[in-house]
Amino acid sequence: MADGASGSAERSVQVKLVLLGEAAVGKSSVVLRFVSNEFQANKEPTIGAAFLTQKCRLEDRVLRYEIWDTAGQERFHSLAPMYYRNAQAAVVVYDVTKASSLEKAKTWVKELQRQANPNIVIALAGNKVDLVQSSTAPAAAATSESEDEADDATATPGEAPASGESDSLRQVPREEAEAYAQEAGLLFFETSAKTGEGIVELFTEIAKKIPIDQILASSRGGAGRPGAAGARAGAQEGVNLEENAAKSKDSCNC
Amino acid sequence: MDVDAVVLGSGLTESIAAAALSKAGYKVAHLDVNPYYGGDNASLTADELVSWADERAAAGPSNPSYASAQRTKFTSISRSGSTLPQSRQYSISLSPAIIPSVGPLIDALIASGVSRYGGFKLLEKVAIYTGPGSVKPVPGSKEDVFKSKELSLLDKRRLMRFLMFAAGDFEGKKEFEGKEHTPFVQFLHQVFSLDGQTAAAIAYALAFCVSAAEPTLPALQRIRKYLRSTGRYGPSPFLVGHYGGLGEIAQGFCRTAAVSGAAYILAHNVFSIEIPSQSEEGRKYKIILEGLDESLTCDLLIASSGYPLPEFPRAVTNDSTDNESSNIHPIARAIVVVDRPLSFSSPEVPPASTASDAEGADTEEEEQTPQKQELDTALLVFPPSSLEGGSSVAVASVLVTGEGSISAPKGKWVLYLSLPLLEQTTRSAEALLRPYVDATLSLTVPDSASPTSTQPLFTLFYIEHPDLPPSSSAASESQIPSILAPLRSSTLLPEQADSATTNAETLFWKAVSALKAAGRRPKRRTGEGEEEGEEEVEVEGFWPPLDIVDDPEEDW
Repeated sequence: MADGASGSAERSVQVKLVLLGEAAVGKSSVVLRFVSNEFQANKEPTIGAAFLTQKCRLEDRVLRYEIWDTAGQERFHSLAPMYYRNAQAAVVVYDVTKASSLEKAKTWVKELQRQANPNIVIALAGNKVDLVQSSTAPAAAATSESEDEADDATATPGEAPASGESDSLRQVPREEAEAYAQEAGLLFFETSAKTGEGIVELFTEIAKKIPIDQILASSRGGAGRPGAAGARAGAQEGVNLEENAAKSKDSCNC
Repeated sequence: MDVDAVVLGSGLTESIAAAALSKAGYKVAHLDVNPYYGGDNASLTADELVSWADERAAAGPSNPSYASAQRTKFTSISRSGSTLPQSRQYSISLSPAIIPSVGPLIDALIASGVSRYGGFKLLEKVAIYTGPGSVKPVPGSKEDVFKSKELSLLDKRRLMRFLMFAAGDFEGKKEFEGKEHTPFVQFLHQVFSLDGQTAAAIAYALAFCVSAAEPTLPALQRIRKYLRSTGRYGPSPFLVGHYGGLGEIAQGFCRTAAVSGAAYILAHNVFSIEIPSQSEEGRKYKIILEGLDESLTCDLLIASSGYPLPEFPRAVTNDSTDNESSNIHPIARAIVVVDRPLSFSSPEVPPASTASDAEGADTEEEEQTPQKQELDTALLVFPPSSLEGGSSVAVASVLVTGEGSISAPKGKWVLYLSLPLLEQTTRSAEALLRPYVDATLSLTVPDSASPTSTQPLFTLFYIEHPDLPPSSSAASESQIPSILAPLRSSTLLPEQADSATTNAETLFWKAVSALKAAGRRPKRRTGEGEEEGEEEVEVEGFWPPLDIVDDPEEDW
């Protein structure tokens, strides 16, 4: 599993990315837009995928995001430590039309700083920006390869978007969130899962900040593992239950 | 929140059952009073472990509550005053376990897709304590026996004959006839002429018997299972879970349950359970939680025995009571953190001292290339009477886990000692286990810079008592019960995980019948987008077929 792309010339790096944010800010929609370039307006709260994967091309490298959704476990503050483990990136989402969601985002950032890998790349995303724009329609920007491998990701219902948008819906000024992000050392984007605005940029900028070389070194380096916050520490020695299970099945067949 | 089933407690059995019910299509709410997952199987950071111990050691009211049940379950608690730096880099298990590579848990991990969340490491070595400063590796396979320098040729032949017997269908063999209840050690002597250290290694480090009195049948069944596990993932039959083992695996099942729609509520206790009048809701139970406005309604309640519900007798899910019987004793436990690795190759003791016949010793003598001395993940077994001051009837074991299982920081190792208490004792956990701790520490690799004896960085001693069987009412036996409790799992190091899984499956099927009786059918989401809907489905197995998803190997 660690070297899925060993056959190809490109070196593909697997990066675990976790999503956080208050319920109904559009976490799943942001991912759905990124992964399959889709948007679904009124959907059930997140049920379905263990995680989604999406490739992100970056100059000579291909980065494969393994995107973990909260699966609703954040609702009663019941996210397992497992969720944060080995995450190299996190997207903390808030809703620009809901001031309290930024406060919630800040607590998630603190939680990440407490629980997660110290080198984690964190991006703050102010979603639903389409609701506060008068008539701009910055076309679907998604240029990522659509590699639709997921079962199904879904979007939370959210407040039904009013059609006559105006800036008065905005409760979180861009400057305020941006200032906070800068202070806390986070990447910052305003996004719209509905129109696609900012989505690809969000994931591409995260990709640029990921220490790819370190990850490659720690996941492939045959010898000792580097001390640097090893992505999958000790993975060389690990056992993959499914791979070997398949092997033993094969050997039974013959 | 309206659900089909509410599950109280997130131990491994309950978590597997919750995942299976949720994946089958039932609506599940899963609760734990603790702020962490795993209940009594949890894996904790060093700081969490200290709080865990201090809360249970403190005095408190003995009213029927989770807290008082925990104080009854965990007694004789004492810990060192020190705390550990890098607390978060520890995942210390409250129920250390090794997992056979072939068995119900591994099957469930693969069938449920939970295997993709967790990592595992092979157990590197099993050894048996043979005297002060001396340990012997335990041969786990025919190859090991063949290569062993410790065994005489005669012993090798006898051992080979035994292993062939145990790996096969021994039930029909004449050697076995009428012997199923014979104490296993006696059986080894009578039937295979195996004695002394060889018999001890087989009985205690291959079959994991807790005493010499254990009967033959279950011991042979275990050996066969472990022999068949050998080679699936490597030379050892056993896996050790990353990040503290069972607690992490429980989290994985909980995440899978959540991904299928289960709601998770940690750190909340049940305030009351009511039976709503017929007019309301249509559900059997209404559960009110402390500190949460929203109440839960459900038709089925699954409650682990740690959650006392005095007014609501539970039906234990035992179809077969034999599962319940053996291997459930109080256990004296110690958790010891050290900063030097253990080594099982004691170089100061001349090897092959047992080689009584001419052959064994000399041929392979040159190959004394010291193998990797430092152990990361290993198991040491103390047979009865092997240690002065130790037990003369019971077997103690020490599981070592280090950085390789990602459960301790670099350069630190966690030792888990356990000693089943087969007879009543008034001695403290610390008094019972101190000799074993000292003997184990004497096996650490000496540090050339400071050749003093190894001092532990942290110690915690306690006695874990088996859960009391939950009260069950005779009246409820006649109808299909709607409050269920899981069976107690085996406490044997290599059996606990599989036993929890088997119990979870029993619980799952009981839950399915109870929900069916209440007129509830599982529903699965169908279609996408506009056509999305729900349809009732049948429960066909413990796990529904896995969707084929994002396999990184797919694209070539």
